[in-house]
This record gives sequence, C-alpha cells and structure tokens, in this order.
Amino acid sequence: MSEKLSSKQLSRKITDEYMEDAFHARENGKLVGYTTAISPVEIFVAHDIVPIYPENHAVANLTAKKGVELCSVVESMGYTSHLCAYARSDLGYRKTGVTVTKGIPEPDLFLACNAQCFTLTKWFQVLARRGDLPVFVFDTPEHILNKDARKEIVKYCVLQLKELISWLEKVTKRKFDYDRLAEVMKYSAASSILYKKFLDMAQYKPSPISIFDALIGMAIAVYRRGTQECVDYYQTLCDEIQAKVDQGIGVLPRDQEKYRLYWENLPVWFKFSDHAKLLGSYGGVILTSLYVHAWSLDFDLNKDPLETLAENYVNRFSNSTIEDRADMAMELFKKYSMNSMIMFMNRSCKAVSFAVPTLKDILTKRTGIPALVFESDMGDQRFYAESQVRTRIEAYFETLDRLGLAQKLT
Amino acid sequence: MWESLNLKDVVALARDPYPSIRQWSRDTGKKVVGSTIADVPEEVVYAFDLLPVTILGTHKPLKKAPSHLPDNACSLARSNLELALSYEGDLFSGFVLPQVCDTTQHLSDIWRINFPDKYVESYLAPRQADRPSAHYWVKEEIERLISSLGKWTGKQLSNDALNRSIALHNENKKLLAEFYDIKRNNPGTLTNKQFFALLKVSQQVDKAEFNKSLKAIKDGLKLKKGKGYTDVVLVGITCDPPEIFDIFDDLKVNIVGDTLVTGTRYVQGVAAMNGDPVQALTDRHFTRGFFSPIHDNVYKNFEEVKKLYYGTKSQAVVYVHIEFCESQEYDLPDLKNMIKQEGIPIHVLDTEYQTTSLSHVLTRAQAFFESLKGGSL
Ligand code: SF4
Ligand code: SF4
Repeated sequence: MSEKLSSKQLSRKITDEYMEDAFHARENGKLVGYTTAISPVEIFVAHDIVPIYPENHAVANLTAKKGVELCSVVESMGYTSHLCAYARSDLGYRKTGVTVTKGIPEPDLFLACNAQCFTLTKWFQVLARRGDLPVFVFDTPEHILNKDARKEIVKYCVLQLKELISWLEKVTKRKFDYDRLAEVMKYSAASSILYKKFLDMAQYKPSPISIFDALIGMAIAVYRRGTQECVDYYQTLCDEIQAKVDQGIGVLPRDQEKYRLYWENLPVWFKFSDHAKLLGSYGGVILTSLYVHAWSLDFDLNKDPLETLAENYVNRFSNSTIEDRADMAMELFKKYSMNSMIMFMNRSCKAVSFAVPTLKDILTKRTGIPALVFESDMGDQRFYAESQVRTRIEAYFETLDRLGLAQKLT
Repeated sequence: MWESLNLKDVVALARDPYPSIRQWSRDTGKKVVGSTIADVPEEVVYAFDLLPVTILGTHKPLKKAPSHLPDNACSLARSNLELALSYEGDLFSGFVLPQVCDTTQHLSDIWRINFPDKYVESYLAPRQADRPSAHYWVKEEIERLISSLGKWTGKQLSNDALNRSIALHNENKKLLAEFYDIKRNNPGTLTNKQFFALLKVSQQVDKAEFNKSLKAIKDGLKLKKGKGYTDVVLVGITCDPPEIFDIFDDLKVNIVGDTLVTGTRYVQGVAAMNGDPVQALTDRHFTRGFFSPIHDNVYKNFEEVKKLYYGTKSQAVVYVHIEFCESQEYDLPDLKNMIKQEGIPIHVLDTEYQTTSLSHVLTRAQAFFESLKGGSL
C-alpha cells in the first residue's frame, strides 16, 4: 500500500490532475467553463463542465511579479491602469502568452457571479467578445439588512439557477442530472466544513497557521469544490495542523507571539512571504481575513440544493453590507483573540476596498484597537512603496507596544 | 414655482437646483427623496406625494467624501456623496439608492450608515436584462419599494395615484422628446446647454409644475435652422459639468442623439397606461437603451450607436467617459474599435465631476472637430 500523501503532495497531485483534465477537456468531450471564485460552481461540476478560474492563474503571475509587464501591455490596448490587476494581467496574458504556469485552457462558456464583484462580469464579457462565446450572469443583489428582502433575493437567485441549468442543457445538449448535483453538494458541504475547521485552527495559541498558510490552503476549496478529493485534502490538512496544535507548534514560538492580527482585504501577492517575515520580526502573525473565509460555505443538505446554493452565495462577505461585514469581522476578532489589525486599501479591488474606510471606523470603535491602514495594489508593483510600508508597520507596532496591547507572553 | 420658467431660468436652475427645491419643499410642506441615477422608478416615489430628485453631483469642492470613498471611485459617486454629506443633506428626508455596480453597492451602505435618521432604501436593479428572472426581479423590487415607502409614510398607494403619477411623467418625457426633435432639425433654436438643462431639471423638480413651463417654452420657440452645425451622437452615462455643453455650442456641434442615462435613456422611460401600473413600470425597464452595468452586450451598444449615427446622419460620435467608471472602461476599448472599424469618427471625452478647468477638453475637442471638417479623420 502506498504511503499517505502529505497535504502539500496531495494539493500538487489534485492540481496537476485537474489541469491535465482541463487541458484535455475537449478531447474527452467536456467543455471548459470560466467562472468566478465565488460562484455556484457545484452546478458546473455536476454537469461535467471543467471549471477554470482566471483569477487563480492571475494570482500565480502576480505572485511571481509579472504584474507590471502584463498590465502595461493591456494599458497600451486602451484599458486604464486602475482596473483590477487580475483582469489586467489576464488580458495581458491573452495578448502575449506570458505566464509562469502552463497557462489555462481557452473557455467555451462563462459563468459570472457578481456576489464577488462586478469587475469579473465585465472582464468575462471582454473575454467572451474575443470568441463570441456565451456568458451567463448570475446576479446576486446585495444581501441587504431587510430580512424579507433577503427571502426575495434568494427566490430570485433560485430562479436564475434554474435558468443556468436550462442554459447549460441547451449549450451542452445534455440533460442536467439532479442526483449528481445532490452528490456534488455532499462533497462541497463536507469540504467546506473541513476548510472552516482548518481556518479556525488559528484560534489556538500560539496559532499553528497564519493567513499565509490559509491563502495557500484555500486554493483547493476554490477550484475543487464539489469533489471527493477536495474533502480528502482538507481532512489531511486538518489532521496535520491538529498534530502541530497537539505539539504546541506555532507559526511563532509561544513566547514570541505578541500580536495576533486581522487582515482586511486580499493579500499583496508579490509581497506575500516578505510580509510574513517582516511581521514575524515584530512578534506579529496575521491570522485571518474575511477574504479567506469566503469559502467557508455552510450548505444545508436538507434543503433543495438550489436554495442552499443561492443562500450561501448571496451571503458571502463581498456581497454583504458593511454592517454585516463588521459583524463577521468582530466574530473573528473574538474567536481568534486578535489584538491588532491591518486594513489594506487595495486599488485593484474596489469590491472589497470601498468598504474599508467605513469598516475601519466601525472596527476600531468596537474593538478599541487602532488600525494600520495602507494603500497599495495586490498585484501591480508600481503602486507599492516599500519603504513607506515598512515605516508604517514599524510605527504601528510601536504604537501597539506603547498602548500595552501586546499579548501577555508566557 | 416651476410652472412659468423661461429657458434662461431653466439653465440657471440646472446649475444649482437645490435652493429652489429647498424653497419649494418649505412652501408645499412636501418631503424630498433623493436618488442617484439608474432606473429608480421615480413615478412610485412621486405617487406617495414626495418629490423624487435625481442627484447629479455637486460642483462644490470635495471635503468629506474622500475619507469614505478613495480617489479611484468614480467621480460621480464621490460627488454625489459629497453633496449629501456636506452641502444639501438637510434637504432630503430620505433616499432611494439604486445599485448597479460595486461602487453604487458600497455607496448605498455608506449613505445608510451616515444618515441613520433618514429613510434610506436600496433599489436593487437587476444586473442582467435578458432573462425572465430579470422581469420577475424588477417587479419584485418595485413592489418592495412601494411597501417600504408605504411603511415610511404611513400611506397606502392606490393604482389610481400611481397611474396619475405615470401619466404626468410620461407627459414630461413626451415633451422632452418633442424638444429633442426640434433641436435635432433646427439647431439654431435651442443650444445643447439649454436642451440638456431641460432634461436635467425634469429629473429634479415637480413635473406637475415643470411640464407647464416646458409647454410654454416649446410654444414660444422660434424655429431656426442655423448654419454650419456638425451633428454628433453622444454616447455614455452622464455628461457633466454642464460647461461641456458650452464647448459643444461654441464649436457649433449639434447633439442629435445620445445614449445617456440622463438623456435619451430617461426619455425612453414612457410607461404604458394599461391599468396595471406596476407591470407597466416593470416592462419599460426592458425597453430602455443600453446601460453598461446592466446590459451584458457591447454589441448591443454598438448597434444602437450605429443606428443613431446613420439614422440622424451624424458626422461623428462623442463618447463621454466618466473618470474611474470601470463599467465604461471595460467596454470602451472594444466599442471604440468597433466604431472605428465601421468608419465612424469617434472622440472620447474624459470627464470628471468637480472639474474646474475644461481647457484640455476644449483643446482636444477643437482639434477633433477641426480635423473632422477637414475630412482628415
Ligand atoms: S480582486 Fe476584487 S475586483 Fe478583482 S476579481 Fe477579485 S473580487 Fe473582483
Ligand atoms: S456605473 Fe460607472 S458612473 Fe455609474 S456609479 Fe458605477 S462606476 Fe460610477
């Protein structure tokens, strides 16, 4: 019997097989559907459409510092420099073929869900025009505070999911299999619970994971939801982290973990590991963000699958009111005993960032903790001022020290 | 108050309507409800005996908005927020805020949080318009708005009241369409600035009064063909500040068609008078022209532009780009290419609310129209 794979090996294996399947989809009679990271991809999986997320591919290129090169190309095509760097780098990749991976297969169709942002809808429309391909917009109105309105929103979304299914049946000339959907939902529900369990391990002291582990660990939840291997992966990951917890192993040793930080927004991808090191040198570990929790879905398998899908995708943080986002963040603050926060104003992502100033006001008031706010871009290095960020971080930790906010070290 | 205005009054009112609205509200004791643009059914608000006012930015400096919305938010959103936070907030008893893009979605939240004592309701416009569910949703949202306003005002809305409101709004739109015809064929009669002021003011004052002014102004017009005009089609969402129209007027540019939300798309909102007012308001949502955040197809926009251009025998297309409007920015490169490939001359105007100097706009527009006349485009 072969030895049990580690989560890292498993992640590699799942990713390789997935990309292999995607690149050979057409030979195997399957279609490639581009979709948004927060979208009811379970419908695609159940209908044997291979889901591809241009955002993931963009992350790989931006992390490898390809942002400026790819974005500049797109700007010379007439696109403005302040559009999302995912979209710009992707359009740059289409134009130049430049990528640090093997690239991604061309699409046959698109599913754009605006629970995440409006940008993706527009970006997909640009891609669709290149080949006159069909786009389905799954419109998720804001999950506003009014309870009755929420019920109506879910109804509207269920109607749309039915339309999505008919649309797929028409495009693929195949009947949709609801039994298969039920099976996919089971996997999705199970992996989501495990994924959340993994994220929640950050509540231990010292925390065995930082947000950087969460950002790496979330990949499979994003692109393999609805499969058995996704469940297996998170089970393995949880077991591994639990072992660390049992041995008291933290990202920082227990006697060095002074600041348990909340991070608002997506990461600065090309500064990913630098930030971890820098903060670590001050005794800081970023534990979590609403962003990584976007895939902590909570499906109710006793409900009609379309209803629980609709409910879950409309109430993601990115589609929630600022008041609800604040409540969600507060819950994390309490659960993970966080004592500091970094609020990143990400020029690329209006969908998340336009809430940040208001959210910062609410969170600082409710927690009594000062926030470090800094503006930059998650993927375009031209908007990143290295020395300024370092100085601000240093000053922030000094303030926290002065206020006596550090965790009592044992 | 607004029933016997002349053209000059209307132009002045368009520049700053708020003192007048404030006065009117005091005189009549009626409440004012603000909306940002995009498809809020103002007929419903009006039928509750409230004054619906479309908020279209302020020309006064930004003071508070930047701390709520960063500088890469579209200038229209920042300007609207500033107007409410710093200048005219007290005038409004409530707001009905439509959501069509990420910016408007956040704007609704920020607005609600900043005005805890006012009535603030969201109008969740569908961001798809081609499927049956969109019809279902528009109707649902109109009904939700009716019930929400009913709760706030303590009134029940009758079909009769809503039909009366629709009739009044329809009359306004028909009058505006007649003005457009006059201007299109007799550009010497009415300047661009005057015409777009009529449109703007129509979206901000009581139509029961303003329609009377519109009729009188129309009857008093002396038709003048004028000479040397260049006919153009204006494409975009809004066109501000109003001084841009001065530039067109100085260059003898005659806007003969447009796709603006605050222009033709507004005029297109005539609803059927068939006894079922909610259904009529729902249906008209789908007969309006292209609006980038809710229509998914730039080809549709291109077809519309083409139709307008050829239908009006225009000489060029002017695209009004609002700085940082990402909806426009994803569409524009392809749309521009399609228009160019069709052989239609196109000029892109970059605009920003709060702009104080338009000299760059003027210089570029001058160069464009000169080369157009010289046939070098
Ligand atoms: S980073 Fe933000 S704007 Fe860009 S695709 Fe993701 S959610 Fe949308
Ligand atoms: S559609 Fe464009 S102009 Fe309108 S609010 Fe959104 S970003 Fe601003």
